[in-house]
Amino acid sequence: MTGTQLMDSYLLANAESVVARARAGDEDALEELYRAFEAPVYNLARRICRTTEDAEDVLQETFFEVCRSIGRYREEGSLWGWVRTIAASKALMRLRRNKYRDTDELQEEAVGQRREDTALRMDLEAALERLSETSRAVVWLHDVEGYTHDEIAGMMGKTPSFSKSQLARAHQRLRRWLGEEVEG
Amino acid sequence: MTHLTVEALLSLREAGLEPGDASARAHLDGCPRCRAELERLHQRVARLKALPALRPSRDRWPQVSARYRVERRNRRQRTAGLIGLAAAASIALGVSLGPRGNPATNPGEQEIQAAMARSQALENALSRYQPDQRVLDGRTAGIAQELEDRIATVDRELEMADLLAQQARDEQVLKLWRERVGLLDALVDVHVTRASNVGL
Ligand SMILES: [Zn+2]
Repeated sequence: MTGTQLMDSYLLANAESVVARARAGDEDALEELYRAFEAPVYNLARRICRTTEDAEDVLQETFFEVCRSIGRYREEGSLWGWVRTIAASKALMRLRRNKYRDTDELQEEAVGQRREDTALRMDLEAALERLSETSRAVVWLHDVEGYTHDEIAGMMGKTPSFSKSQLARAHQRLRRWLGEEVEG
Repeated sequence: MTHLTVEALLSLREAGLEPGDASARAHLDGCPRCRAELERLHQRVARLKALPALRPSRDRWPQVSARYRVERRNRRQRTAGLIGLAAAASIALGVSLGPRGNPATNPGEQEIQAAMARSQALENALSRYQPDQRVLDGRTAGIAQELEDRIATVDRELEMADLLAQQARDEQVLKLWRERVGLLDALVDVHVTRASNVGL
């Protein structure tokens, strides 16, 4: 059993019958799906998106898509894996739409550099928040959600080496910002 | 001594062996500093995974279900529209068959009138369906386009038929109108079939 299949039984005990009812258009069953996966979908969206509003929009778009395409879900994969990939794609789509915001990153980094000089040690949440949107998305999808570089590249419309270099960038920064620099 | 880069350390975590991983491992075995760095990397990832789950402050299900309901209603209306279209098409066929078998008047002329009426009814049904404002999949759109092109050709031939002598003209015009009805029938069919393919 894979991790995502374990998540299925953890989040939704009677997944099979709920999916069958949802496919038949039963709204209660669709709501059950929403209630089961609302929290992890939001968490994923919030970790990738900059604002709570964006994350909530992604949550809404994800479940609208789930309602419309539950008929296309094939049971060989896990339900959570399927929902999660929809959520990740919607979140990345939102990042692309908000791309202009990311252009501020360089300037922001310069500010960050100055702050680092004052040896201010950030906590992990704050450090994660400081990463560029793309780096943060890659580190989250790869290290926490367990997607491979190939899968991330596919979702982002980039190459696997882009995904790898973004991950390395993210870890270099986190390491510095978290005050993990090794002496000597 | 050149220590391992973050890229090299990250690469060591991946399942598949990358070129350079073997020498990186060799370095790691003999370098406590890089081993410590790899350990820190593992710990950082473990801490990321252990971050508390963030929860939405608002319930978005009402919006999701409202939007989904609207979409479903639109879909149902589309289906009802198509069923209506199919019904209109068969009424058109019934009407057109009506005047047939009255032998008192010129049969050629009557049959032409019948074919024209049927063509008109089908065309009305189609325009009510507003095919221009709907999206077809590529293949269906191709078929519809071909049928429309052939109808346009028939229309040009009908104009030219006017120049023919009476007898030849009636025969030609009747043949063309019947062809036109057949093409329109097929066009209606294309739209109805498309709907059933979508599985509405
Ligand atoms: Zn070393």
